[in-house]
Amino acid sequence: MSGYVDVSRVLAARRGPPAALLGMAILIASEASLFAAMIGTYLYLRFETPVWPPRGVPEPEWLVPTILVAVLALTSIPVQLAWRSVRAGRVARARLLLLGALVVQAGYFLWAVHDFADQIRRTPITENAYTSIYYTLLGADHAHVFVGLLFSVWLLLKLMRGLTLYRANVTQAITWYWHFVNLLTIVVLATILSARG
Amino acid sequence: MAVVAPPSREAAARVIRLEQVWKSRPGLLGWLTTTDHKRIGLLYFWTTLVSFAAGGAEALIMRTQLERPNNDVVSPSTYDQLFSMHGITMIFFFIIPMTTGAFGNYLLPLMIGARDMAFPRMNALSFWIFLASGIFIYTSLFMGSAPDAGWFNYVPLANATYNPGPAIDFYCLGIVFNGIASTLTAGQFIVTILTCRAPGMSLNRMPLFCYAFLAASFGLLFALPVLSADTIFLFLDRNVGTHFFDVAHGGSALLWQHLFWFFGHPEVYILIVPAFGIATEIIPAFTQRRMTAFPLVAIAELLVVFIGFGVWAHHMFATGIPTVTMIFFAAASAMVVIPSTIQVFAWCWTMVMGGGRFRTPLLFIAGFVFMFVTGGLTGIMFVAIPFDQQVTDTYFIVAHFHYIIFGAAVFPIFGGMYYWFPKVTGKLYFERPGQISFWVLFVGTNLLFFPMHVVGLLGMPRRVYTYSDGLGWAAYNLAETIGGFITAAGIVLLLGNLFVSYFRGAAAGPDPWHGPTLEWSTSSPPPEYNFAVVPKVSSAYANWDHADREEDRRRLESGVLVLDEGHLQPAVTPVDGDLSEVVEMPHGSPWPIVLALALSLVFAMLVLEKYGAAAIGGILCIAALAGWHWHEPEEATG
Amino acid sequence: MRAGAYAVVVGATLVLAGCGNTQNALAPKSHQAQDIASLFWWMMGGAWIGLAVVVGLLVIAWRRRGGAEGADEKTAERRGWFVVIGAGMALPIAVIAALFVISDVFVIRTTQAPAASATRLTVLVTGHQWWWEFRYPGTRAVTANELHIPIRAPVRVEVRTADVIHSFWVPQLNRKIDAIPGRTNSIELDADAVGSYRGQCAEFCGVQHAHMGIDLVAESEAEFRQWLARQARTASPPTTAAASRGQELFTSAGCQSCHAIRGTAAAGDVGPDLTHLASRRTLGALAIPNTRDYLRSWITESQEVKPGNQMPNLDLAPDRLDDLVAYLQGLR
Repeated sequence: MSGYVDVSRVLAARRGPPAALLGMAILIASEASLFAAMIGTYLYLRFETPVWPPRGVPEPEWLVPTILVAVLALTSIPVQLAWRSVRAGRVARARLLLLGALVVQAGYFLWAVHDFADQIRRTPITENAYTSIYYTLLGADHAHVFVGLLFSVWLLLKLMRGLTLYRANVTQAITWYWHFVNLLTIVVLATILSARG
Repeated sequence: MAVVAPPSREAAARVIRLEQVWKSRPGLLGWLTTTDHKRIGLLYFWTTLVSFAAGGAEALIMRTQLERPNNDVVSPSTYDQLFSMHGITMIFFFIIPMTTGAFGNYLLPLMIGARDMAFPRMNALSFWIFLASGIFIYTSLFMGSAPDAGWFNYVPLANATYNPGPAIDFYCLGIVFNGIASTLTAGQFIVTILTCRAPGMSLNRMPLFCYAFLAASFGLLFALPVLSADTIFLFLDRNVGTHFFDVAHGGSALLWQHLFWFFGHPEVYILIVPAFGIATEIIPAFTQRRMTAFPLVAIAELLVVFIGFGVWAHHMFATGIPTVTMIFFAAASAMVVIPSTIQVFAWCWTMVMGGGRFRTPLLFIAGFVFMFVTGGLTGIMFVAIPFDQQVTDTYFIVAHFHYIIFGAAVFPIFGGMYYWFPKVTGKLYFERPGQISFWVLFVGTNLLFFPMHVVGLLGMPRRVYTYSDGLGWAAYNLAETIGGFITAAGIVLLLGNLFVSYFRGAAAGPDPWHGPTLEWSTSSPPPEYNFAVVPKVSSAYANWDHADREEDRRRLESGVLVLDEGHLQPAVTPVDGDLSEVVEMPHGSPWPIVLALALSLVFAMLVLEKYGAAAIGGILCIAALAGWHWHEPEEATG
Repeated sequence: MRAGAYAVVVGATLVLAGCGNTQNALAPKSHQAQDIASLFWWMMGGAWIGLAVVVGLLVIAWRRRGGAEGADEKTAERRGWFVVIGAGMALPIAVIAALFVISDVFVIRTTQAPAASATRLTVLVTGHQWWWEFRYPGTRAVTANELHIPIRAPVRVEVRTADVIHSFWVPQLNRKIDAIPGRTNSIELDADAVGSYRGQCAEFCGVQHAHMGIDLVAESEAEFRQWLARQARTASPPTTAAASRGQELFTSAGCQSCHAIRGTAAAGDVGPDLTHLASRRTLGALAIPNTRDYLRSWITESQEVKPGNQMPNLDLAPDRLDDLVAYLQGLR
């Protein structure tokens, strides 16, 4: 276990991005492409269908999801601050920020799963093309939030045991992941809500 | 070759230390846990040769069936599985993994002066996933239930109504499975090229081969997820009862095509651009000249993939999409020609400047240019929408893309096999049989594919298991079949030559060609650590910069950038190639194959419709990832 | 059984040689197909020139092999840029732009779907696995695999599918047009001359995609009207005892569950309408000629003739088969 001073010095002396960060950028690019395909599918089906959502399918709720997605997006702040703490060598502060963010993110996820299950019970995915893309797109987004939770739990467990350069790189990468997921969730929500009105 | 003074005692000691640090586990376990990019490249090489044989056998059986009208060598449903598996095998299990997995893996780190890829364990993972996905899809063939709706698998023919049974589920899952391997490889190459170049190798000093692989990697990265989405939607339609493609419930049959071709067109550039990269190294090596208009060629390699993302609907000109849409895509398709013509003239001019040594590798490149131009010219004809609408889905198209794929992807692969054979094996191949293998292949492929232009114009559609007599197609089909067998003979000759040369070839030494790039500055085969000293780089033709190679020898003496204290390699800034830090690399790990096995379990359970077991497989994957990341590399000092 | 099937099909092709027997896109018989063919000849000319230039460069490279040559590095490199930009960029841009404008602004106007008012006759085409259904709106005419049109009259063909994607294609008359679920696509056919024109499904549609032919007959207006009037009539009643027995057998053997014969109780819509079966020249979508013997083999062993097609082999005693065939051959 190395002291935080060493890690900070290395991070400051580094002139280019670490491989881990670029690797995360690659993952983000790939997942973004996947979601672009799904959103493209949503829009394509929408423009081929005169009535959207089709009759018999309820319009998506907007108030509660918008508030909760906004709350999720705000967790980008503590997550980013956690990275800056790590960069400065202040591990305890980073752990606290990550934990706080994780609590909110996990809360969001639990609501999301509950709401998803509720909706799909009432209007199954097998109704029509709208429900097919709606639940697939939304479900994929929730799955990416879940993966983010796994990343954060893993990082917290690692940071419990102190700071190394590896853990610092991983923190930065996971920060980027959360920014991506939060932005993605906003975009997905906007796509879904475009069916209203 | 200059006579070099033997290294001093200190230098020799450093080399010995490097050898010890970088030694692999012996035996089979060493191969199963390898993270060495060269070993992984070889694993890909042999596996893809097996795929090539399978795809080739499928082709020969089809050609035998089509050799005469109303033939009954195979049943129609067998034929449908054959042409589907032929396309799937050749594209996903031969060309992509041979160019990226074999050539890219083996050569990229060497060409950029690195000791390994950025993520060595992930590199091994790519291979094991690739192997597993090949076994997965071929299981369907051995079950007699291979995909049979073509490699592009249009709906509704591929949906559960018209294709019950597991065949298309194997397709959907197999494509996603294979796509994971290719995505990991693409990401690997991008990060490696951006961060693992030798210090001093700014982007404008990077070999054109690397530009080609960078372009192909970006293509894979952005195209594969769209295909995955498409196949996931189909899997859901087939197994869960969704309606993405079901017109009766608001879905769209054309949606499949749009998503597929959004992937499918960049895919064809992904197939040929690495081969362009091979050509752009063989030409300088065998003319001893730098490539004409180097910056234009580098940009063209990137542009062809980029523009290639905007042309996909030219595969759909007969589907009744609006005229204005078609005109847009025809215009974009016209634009994508230009980066290719730039490269063709750059290659030709470099050779025309003189000094060409037409050894086997350069012969294959000359053949490649001829066939790529032929295929490209028919490609340009498809810019004319009415003409495209007349010949699409006929053998004219089959001719076009086989000239491109066989000519522009496979010929450079063959040329590359000969070119780098001395580097990989330390032996020289036999030149005379090499040249004969080229000519046999050249004659065979032209006899096989050229008549297809004619028979397509005479009205023969694609994917027909037989045809009537009296339509004027029989003679051409017979010629094509003969050409197919000549081609097969050429391949056997080529592989046989390499096989015999491996055992009986003369010693090659490090640099039999006076090659332009860094792999020729190290021994043949390279040591596990590639370079005793991280090379000094001043240009894209680093092996011709003799002063820099001298400087390397001095550094070995003085211990600069030898980095023998562990598995170390430098990391640089992405554009300028300035040294950023020194990184400890993983070396040998069981986790890649373990994770690949867990992932295989997931896909096997999915195709068996055991979704609970698949979820357990997913948990095992997460556990494997946790194990993978448990131990951290040693701290390195900057 | 296999040898028999083989003989059937080989014999068929020899007999079928009489029908419109070319799908040669370069033997156009309409102005659309002519425009496309002309485009091709010009493009091919250009392609040969382009290929010759590149082959010429390769030959020069070969001749300059080995030694060091002519101009120094710098001059050669400068010339190289000139060649790459001139021949590799400027020239292709010019040629391809011209090609684009000529084909995609001008020629395309003749090969696109016709405006509704441009044609006086419409044919509704529905693709099935593995046969074509043809209907003539405004009449009750329904037939399969063989369609007639009047010459020198623009005919609008509206193409749909009953199942998977097919593609309607008669190369001598026009480009192909796909049959997509949920859509109706259309093209124009305008035959210059009397004759029969062969076409084929051009989008892989399953196991018998290879045997989904189109027999298109272009004839004079008068002959076309006669043919259409005949096709619109209900079925001729059986005139012989054997044919009468055959008509009963059509029901009792289950044929009516898939096939329709207008004017009788048979109203199946899975397979082709057989009301005027005897007026058609082929069976099985140009798989075999429409003669007594081939019809017998189609009924009892269609799975050998066209394996995987939707019609099962019917096991009938020879005398009952004779009756059925006698009935069917009376449906002119």
